[in-house]
Order: sequence, then C-alpha cells, then structure tokens
Amino acid sequence: MDSSPKEGYMRVILKMPVPAQLAQELEKRLYYVADEIRSFKLIRQQDEIHALDLICEWGNEADESPLKQERLRDKINELIRNDVLSLRVFPKKVLWRSPLKRRAKNCSFAALKDAGVAFSCGEGLVGFGEPLISLSDYFDRRLRSLAMSMPGCREYRYPTLIPTRVLETFRYFESFPQFAFFVARLHNDLDVYRSFLHEYQENHGIPDGLFSHCHSHDLCLSPTMCYHTYQQFQRQELERDTIVTSKGKSFRFESRYSSGLERLWDFTIREIVFLGRREFVLESRQAFMKRAFALMVEFEVGGCCEVASDYFFATPETTLKLLSQRIMEHKYELRVPIDGSRSLAVASFNFHETFFGEAFLIKRRGGESAWSGCVGFGLERLVYAFVCQHGLDAKRWPKAVRDGVAQNHDV
Amino acid sequence: MNAKDEIRNFLQEHVRSCKLEDSQDIFAEGLVSSMFVMQLVVMVEQKFGISVEGADLNRDHFRSIEAMAAFVTRKQSR
Repeated sequence: MDSSPKEGYMRVILKMPVPAQLAQELEKRLYYVADEIRSFKLIRQQDEIHALDLICEWGNEADESPLKQERLRDKINELIRNDVLSLRVFPKKVLWRSPLKRRAKNCSFAALKDAGVAFSCGEGLVGFGEPLISLSDYFDRRLRSLAMSMPGCREYRYPTLIPTRVLETFRYFESFPQFAFFVARLHNDLDVYRSFLHEYQENHGIPDGLFSHCHSHDLCLSPTMCYHTYQQFQRQELERDTIVTSKGKSFRFESRYSSGLERLWDFTIREIVFLGRREFVLESRQAFMKRAFALMVEFEVGGCCEVASDYFFATPETTLKLLSQRIMEHKYELRVPIDGSRSLAVASFNFHETFFGEAFLIKRRGGESAWSGCVGFGLERLVYAFVCQHGLDAKRWPKAVRDGVAQNHDV
Repeated sequence: MNAKDEIRNFLQEHVRSCKLEDSQDIFAEGLVSSMFVMQLVVMVEQKFGISVEGADLNRDHFRSIEAMAAFVTRKQSR
C-alpha cells in the first residue's frame, strides 16, 4: 500500500458562525488544531464566517477516514466555541504613528534567498548573512545603549536553556502550552544508552519510541529572556528599582505560522525588564517607548504602536487574562508595514502588575510584591522590516543606519 | 438604590482593605488586579442591562465608582 502522505480537501461547516471582526483571532489559532492542516480559507457570507475550506495532509490512506475527518470538524467547532466566540471585538487603538509615510518595497523572504543573504534551515529556522548580520548587530547596539542609559541598568547573559520548574513557577504551560519546546535527552543510564543504540542501528535512524528512553523533562528552550530575569531575582528583596537588559535566543513553536524571517521558531530578542514600584515600572516603560519611537524615526522606519494582547491558550482563566490585558492596555506592539497590506510586530511593551513579583516572590523594600514590565525587540523581525522598507543596498539606506553599520567594527 | 450606590456596594464587597472614595482609582492604587476589570464589565452588563462592546471596552470607564456610574448613566440614556 502506498504510505506516502496524501493531501485532501475538506469543508467544515461551522456550528456557530464567527463574526467577521473575529476572523484574525480564528486565523491565528487554526493551525494549532491539528498538525494535518496544511492550509485553510475562511468562507464568508455577509458579515460572518460560516465555513472553512481545508487542505489537509493525511499520514496514509487509512488515516483519511471519515472518523478522523469528523474528529477534525469537532475540534474546529470546539475551538470556535471555547477560544474564539468567548472573545470580544476591540477597535484598533493607536498610541503612536510614525510621521514617515514609508511604503514597503517589493521585498520577500524568497527575494532574500535569491540574493543569497538568507536561507531556510528547516521549518521555522532561518540562517542569514550580510548585510543582515550587520543590521542586526547595529540595531541591537542601539537598543542596548537605550537600555544602558536608563538609571542603574545592568546587563546579563542568560543560558539558552531554562529549567522547566522556572516556567512552572508562573504556570506557563497553562497559558502557552502550544509554544513550549522541551529539551529531550537520553536517560543517564548505561542500559538505556545500549538499548537506544541497538534500536538506532536496527532502525537506521532515530527510533519511533525514542521518548521511552528519555526520562528527563527538566529543561526547556527559553520562550523569552525576561523569565531568566525573574528567576535571577527570585526570593529577593530589591534594594532599589531595577532595570535589567539581556539579549538571547528564544524559542516558540509557531506551527505553520512560521514564515521566512517574520515568524521563527528560533529567534533573537533584546529584552529590558523593569522591576520595583508601580510608578517606576510604568514610567520606565513609557520612557523606553518614547526613545524607541525616536529610534524608528532615526532609522526612517514607518509604522505605528497599538494596543495588543498575547495569544493565550484558551481556558476560562486565560480568556479572562486576554480580555483584561486588552482593556487595561497592558501590552503595546510596535508594528511596521512590510508590504502593501501587512505589518509585522517588531517589539512589544508590557506591564504585568505584580504577576511575576508574586509568582517568583520578588519583593520591594518593606516586603510588598514587586511590579514588573518588560520591553522585547525581535531582532530578526526588525531587520526584515527594515529591508522591506529600505532594500538590501546599503547605499540607499538612511545615512544614520549606513554610518552606524560602518561603525560596527570600530566598537 | 441608584447606579452609583449599586456599583459602590459591589466594589466594596471586593475591596476589603479600605473604605472606597468615589473618585479613588482602584487599579492605580493596586486595590484589585487587572483581571477584575472583566468582572466589572459583566457586572454592569447584567445589573444595568447595557452592552459593553468595542470602544466601550476601555479601562477609563472602570477605574473608579464615579467613572463607572457616569459610564452606566451615559449608556442608559442612549
């Protein structure tokens, strides 16, 4: 029997139609429903989405059974009932808009590949060379300088791996199970090594039952830098308001939403964390935003900053979190146009109240929980957004960027 | 009981640490967590028969007894 994967079309009629204003919310969740979904199209009727057309890849013919298709239909309808229809429609709220009306050039990841400056290393994984390396280094240098110019800011380097128990400290897996990357290794035991090797040789590759040999799940790939900072200050009483910056690799499983340099499973963040009094955290976030916007103007990058929310995996509690985050404006995103119709979030500016202070027992003087906030810039996204607006030819870049990149090797 | 009294009673049930002033900002003073804002949204919808949608979903309408009462009155008069 032919066991090669087969693609098939199926239509899913929605039990409850989705208002067109929630289309984006539906779109950003669909690929997490099942690995088989390769692509989808929303079928609209007036102001509602009433069906979905899916292209699915089935493992083999037996899998493409009516039962499996029926289960997929059920899962999509469950997603809509639990995750999408429980949301409310928020109007777009813009805090800042760049005075520069830049139009994105005709750039794409395919063009970067054709030019030999970037290449795909696998789903969600991208490598790149010059001039993107220089741009990334320069942007990071400027962002680091902004952070280090803030009173008392200290820089740290953190490991790529993070203990699973750190993520459990603030119930990460209940909010974002879909993003988690666990680090597997063979259990430290001679019998396990022998048995693995035997199966590996028999199988001519990694055996299907690999995880029966991996007893450890005590490490994850870090989803962002700031979690390391909270761990660093765990069970401490802060002597003063604190600012920490770091740069490092971050990892999130973005399913089939991964796309070129726009959305990676493995990416780099420059992060700045504020810890201490409420006013200090909010004022620091505000001050950093102001400086970041000025930097965008200096780089001649058009865009805007708007109220946003995280994509929490839906439970009654996380839906409440998402709605509250949005109403209270605890998250802002800096978005940059990358083509005629789409924009990319290159940074976020977040306020967490005492959520992390309470979870990690970080106290202020006097014993009250510390407030926290953070700023995160996705460096690959910033670089990609810049070349979408200015192209790859350095001679056509704004003078400030050209000069700054030229100085990379002098600093 | 008028809207302001009902809102005051509801909030005071959840804020035990002090007697609330009508103009007191419950979020800025850390008297409740931000998650509480959704309880307030649902409460005004159910208690006063109004619908809170779109631009109404704004923290400024929910930050104090005074702000909520004004918001409810405005919605009811439409």
